[in-house]
Amino acid sequence: MTEAVHTHGLFKRYGPQIAVAGIDLVVPAGSFAGLVGPNGAGKTTSLSMITGLLRPDGGQAEIDGFDVWRDPVAVKARIGVLPEGLRLFERLSGRELLLYNGRLRGISKADVEQRAEELLQVMDLAEAADKLVVDYSTGMRKKIGLAAALLHNPSVLFLDEPFEGVDPVSANTLTEVLRRFTASGSTVIFSSHVMDLVERLCDWVSVMSAGHIVAQGPLELVREGRSLNQAFLDLVGGPRDNGDSGLTWLGRGKEPA
Amino acid sequence: MSTVALFAQLKLRLLVGNLRGDLQRKLGFTLTLILSVFVSVIGFLLMSLLRLAPHDVAASIVVVVFSLMLIGWMIVPLLAFGLDDTLDPARLSLFPLPTHRLAVGMFTASATGVWPLATLIVTTGALVGLATGVGGVLLGIIAVLLQFALCLVTSRLVTTALSSALRTRRGRDVLAVAAIFVVLLAQLPNLVLNGNLGDPAEMLRGASAILRWTPSGMAAHAMADGGLTGLAELVAVALVVVVAGWLWIKALSRALVTPDASTRAASVRRESGLIDRFLPDGPLAAVVTKELKYIRREPRSRVGWFSSLVVAVVLGFSVTRSLETGAWLPILLTASAGMMIALQSANSFGIDGRSLWMNAVATGSERGLSTDLAGRHLAGAVIATPLLILIATVAGLLAGHPEGIAPAVLTGLGALGIGFGVGSVTSVVIPYTVPDRMNAFTGAAPGQGGQAFVSGMGALLGVSALSLPFVVPLLFGLFWVSVLAPFYGLLAEFLGRRLGAKIGFARFPELLAAVSQAT
Repeated sequence: MTEAVHTHGLFKRYGPQIAVAGIDLVVPAGSFAGLVGPNGAGKTTSLSMITGLLRPDGGQAEIDGFDVWRDPVAVKARIGVLPEGLRLFERLSGRELLLYNGRLRGISKADVEQRAEELLQVMDLAEAADKLVVDYSTGMRKKIGLAAALLHNPSVLFLDEPFEGVDPVSANTLTEVLRRFTASGSTVIFSSHVMDLVERLCDWVSVMSAGHIVAQGPLELVREGRSLNQAFLDLVGGPRDNGDSGLTWLGRGKEPA
Repeated sequence: MSTVALFAQLKLRLLVGNLRGDLQRKLGFTLTLILSVFVSVIGFLLMSLLRLAPHDVAASIVVVVFSLMLIGWMIVPLLAFGLDDTLDPARLSLFPLPTHRLAVGMFTASATGVWPLATLIVTTGALVGLATGVGGVLLGIIAVLLQFALCLVTSRLVTTALSSALRTRRGRDVLAVAAIFVVLLAQLPNLVLNGNLGDPAEMLRGASAILRWTPSGMAAHAMADGGLTGLAELVAVALVVVVAGWLWIKALSRALVTPDASTRAASVRRESGLIDRFLPDGPLAAVVTKELKYIRREPRSRVGWFSSLVVAVVLGFSVTRSLETGAWLPILLTASAGMMIALQSANSFGIDGRSLWMNAVATGSERGLSTDLAGRHLAGAVIATPLLILIATVAGLLAGHPEGIAPAVLTGLGALGIGFGVGSVTSVVIPYTVPDRMNAFTGAAPGQGGQAFVSGMGALLGVSALSLPFVVPLLFGLFWVSVLAPFYGLLAEFLGRRLGAKIGFARFPELLAAVSQAT
């Protein structure tokens, strides 16, 4: 089994706060991997460090066997990224954004134009292709971002919360494209809170909590017969009691303070 | 009272929170702090020393200073440097705050800060310098507080009123024009002083005779007067403050509920591919294409371009009015225009901001970053060159020295190149975020005003230093050296770009973080 992503003791701190506490993230090549964890678990920080957007304080990250920080040319040609926050070049139209992105990576203009046209069709963005990105909705932004990340045919795709704020129709389009992408042997790693979605799509799961990886492996092994949601709550520590101790003031029949 | 304490605390927390963990921000804030302490101390001393001057002259000076202070508070927060980190009222709109508590709170938040304190100290200096007798001191204290309140409220009124007008995308495009007026206004004193209007004492008396009837002027006059007239004037000023405050609250509540209807957008034209006819297919052509679109479509770029040109033109007028013209005039003008245009690239990545990650994941080598910078410079030069030729021609003809046109164009191109070279280095060494909501006209993200200032000054000094080999011979009338200027500029651009790419690629993640601050 070759590994698409392998980190060794990847570590990041912000002042006294340790965001990522030396993780060994492993993702086998060709898998559809989910990185799950509660808010603040360090998912975004980890993905940023692995994709070379944030400098780690310690540890290494390898993609297809190339060190992210020592061999950036090889790594950047192999990865596609959709970070959180969805900031794109707002004053370009969707089509112009794809053209810029592809040509910046040295693909010839004719090739980029053809690929962009097909991606816009598949993503159902053909009508909005000549509108400025600044006027796109959240779902459209995620789709154009994914299109930009796929344009150079990467072997590993990193997506940070790709389904957050996306309507069901767009989400379906996104999953279709991603399924087709992994079926050809490429790797997808995405972070998410939505356990149902991870359970439905992924064959490999890494669970993060408070900067550590608390479980990692094929979906079936992590689940151990439970639903992924239950397994997740067991792993990261869900509510111990059912909230009986506090919140007595909450609910109908009490005066608003 | 609890509202006041609460909002003051909130504002202090925000200030402190902004500084946490980032050395550059701390340095920027320290710079602001030093500057404001300097201004307060010097201002207070100068104002209190007015006691040594004859009473009527002192009164006139305070009238003028108070008025300038008010105008400053209206304009400077709009202009630059992110002086004003005040709370965004939109964040408070969901709390069940009655309007008057919101107003008191917002006023407190505006008053809590470094610059408001400096204003208060300088104003108090006037009290020391001007007030006579018990009545004068009593009225003076009220006058100081009223002047302080007036400055804050008017400043907030102006920004809020403009913010609601400029919240739409179309409105932000109008902003390009507005910002130029602001730049023009800032040049006004310069023009007036160069205009030889007569002796300073006469001018002072004339100015104070008019400004005395502005709210600030009345506050100052009341302080000097100390009698019943002063009291009446203070009542009038207080009324103005209340009315301005009321208008501000009105503008505020309107701004909070007025939706942004600017997303009904039209399609843009497909590109004509003109660039591709001149450049080989590849990253360079991609960057040039994108940059040319950004200069056209991005309001922040437009503002930059327009204001560089306006500054050059204003400079031209003020120079021609005060000195004899000569062949050096078109040269000086075109060179400064070239420099002003190039100085926009002192923070090349600022406008890309948080979208810069897209370049970061595609740029795997120093060469890539160098190509990126080259594309930006090429796009800038494509637009700047015809403009410089135009400026040189017009200036040469108007000055009656057409022989200066050719050297002017050459020097202008040289200055452009030097500016690009220096800008490549400052862009990666002192990057800062340019806020995309220009509604407060701030030049940098909260807490990054110091960086913006250092970056601008650094670029200016760098360009000046590198221009010396040409400025000196030109001063002695050796115009033939201008033939070398474009080559020198090209060399400066090349070396600066190489250095910038080397430094920048090594600290790409830090660069990314610096231009991606929340605004």
